[in-house]
Amino acid sequence: MSDRVPDCTVFLDGSAVRAVAGEPVAVGLWAAGVRVLSRSVKYHRPRAAFCLAGHCGACLMRIDGQPNVKACQTALREGQRIEHQNSWPAGEHDLLGAADAVFPRGMDHHTMFTSPRAANALLRKMVHRLGGLGRLPERGGELAALPSGRRRKVDVAVIGAGPAGLAAALTCAQDGKRSVVVYDEQDRPGGSLLSHPRFGIAAADALAAEARAVGVELRCHAAAIAWYPEDDGGLLAIDDGGVLTKLTARRYIYATGSYDVNALFENNDRPGIWAARAVGLLATRYRVKLAGRTAILGDGAYAHALAEALASAGSNVEHLASERVLRARGRLWVSGLDLEGGRRVRCDRVAVAAVPAPASELARQHGAAVELRAKGGGFACLVDGRGATRVDQVYACGDVCGFVGVEAARAHGHSVGRAVAESLA
Amino acid sequence: MKTIVCRCEDVTLDDVRHALALGFRDLEEVKRYTGLGTGPCQGKECMALCGFILAERGCVPVPFTTRPPVAAVALGTLARGDEEG
Repeated sequence: MSDRVPDCTVFLDGSAVRAVAGEPVAVGLWAAGVRVLSRSVKYHRPRAAFCLAGHCGACLMRIDGQPNVKACQTALREGQRIEHQNSWPAGEHDLLGAADAVFPRGMDHHTMFTSPRAANALLRKMVHRLGGLGRLPERGGELAALPSGRRRKVDVAVIGAGPAGLAAALTCAQDGKRSVVVYDEQDRPGGSLLSHPRFGIAAADALAAEARAVGVELRCHAAAIAWYPEDDGGLLAIDDGGVLTKLTARRYIYATGSYDVNALFENNDRPGIWAARAVGLLATRYRVKLAGRTAILGDGAYAHALAEALASAGSNVEHLASERVLRARGRLWVSGLDLEGGRRVRCDRVAVAAVPAPASELARQHGAAVELRAKGGGFACLVDGRGATRVDQVYACGDVCGFVGVEAARAHGHSVGRAVAESLA
Repeated sequence: MKTIVCRCEDVTLDDVRHALALGFRDLEEVKRYTGLGTGPCQGKECMALCGFILAERGCVPVPFTTRPPVAAVALGTLARGDEEG
């Protein structure tokens, strides 16, 4: 059962909503019955959180006057002002959503209204008004009040505090001979441990504590944003709680994990269609009681673990391991799925357990080679038996080398951490 | 009804198929033609999806160029980033 008790009031487009302080805005609004968090940029299709991990861009809202804030990565607090963007007059009743019906086959911006000139100019104005992402902040910051940058040098930099990154860091730091720092964009360490029903917060905290105990420094709310090869022989830029950190390390270990990916069927972007790991987060990390019926799509180990966990918690589960979905039903929230063969499944949410895609962009910026692998979920980093990429001093481990899941990622992290320690001995 | 491949930019499966029918054969071309992968998430979800669609048609997709920043960052964080405190 859930132990969530609303203890604060926030304002959504001016109306009071009771919520649990500290929970993400996206979770609190969903639990309070808010269905639509955003509208898509072109057709104004209704959207709500998909990944709950800060990656999919489906939950951008205006929060306390700041545009394009990720509602899944922002904690609720008393008096917060939350607004829908890009919709008129309101998120759930957006007249601009007519664009979706007016262009049922989509719009081809290469050929549309290119003549006559007057129509083209008018359309450009319209598109500028309808498109885009929100309005500028109410107040700009004073330049002098903004934080200045900071430079840092460490022996080993690990990017990502999931099972692979934490394991690599702790193995690498165990003999106490080198400085190891782990950066993670989330608010707490754990990565995919946090969304896995068999692991969760307790397992994540235990692994993080083990790493800290051997001297690893864990930094959360710290997203690695880019590798700049031309600056001072190369530096890794990190947005460390709003402060730009320019990091150089003797070894870099990319343990950036994987991104949730949707399945392809009609209306696959309907609110209520979540990544399976997001549903795992709701159940495991946020301890929300999942009322109604959950349809789980997919046949991987994670789909089975989630189905089992939800069922044993008393939730109604329809596990569609191999059925092909043709379309989702429901206008503002998913109400069912049409399957190939004519079967129709009623549900209150969908958990899509497609193979997640390796989060390999940063390693690629750093020169690592990648290869498209169907079983690995996307473009996987190529590494040798020690986790080394083709670039000197650059290593990778876990899902970024092709999706493997929590346990295998942790094992890979340990072995790569050992190899990196040996390379520095 | 639309099947969304890139949710940030509302690029549909039909849009991708249309690009393929026009002869575009790699991710960079499909990106430039449809706008796929150019939204706030920069292709975290759609690049793999589109890569597999291309692979089904016998192409060997290579990823489009990844440019900084890979995660959204406030301009305020970069504004004085060159100064060191």
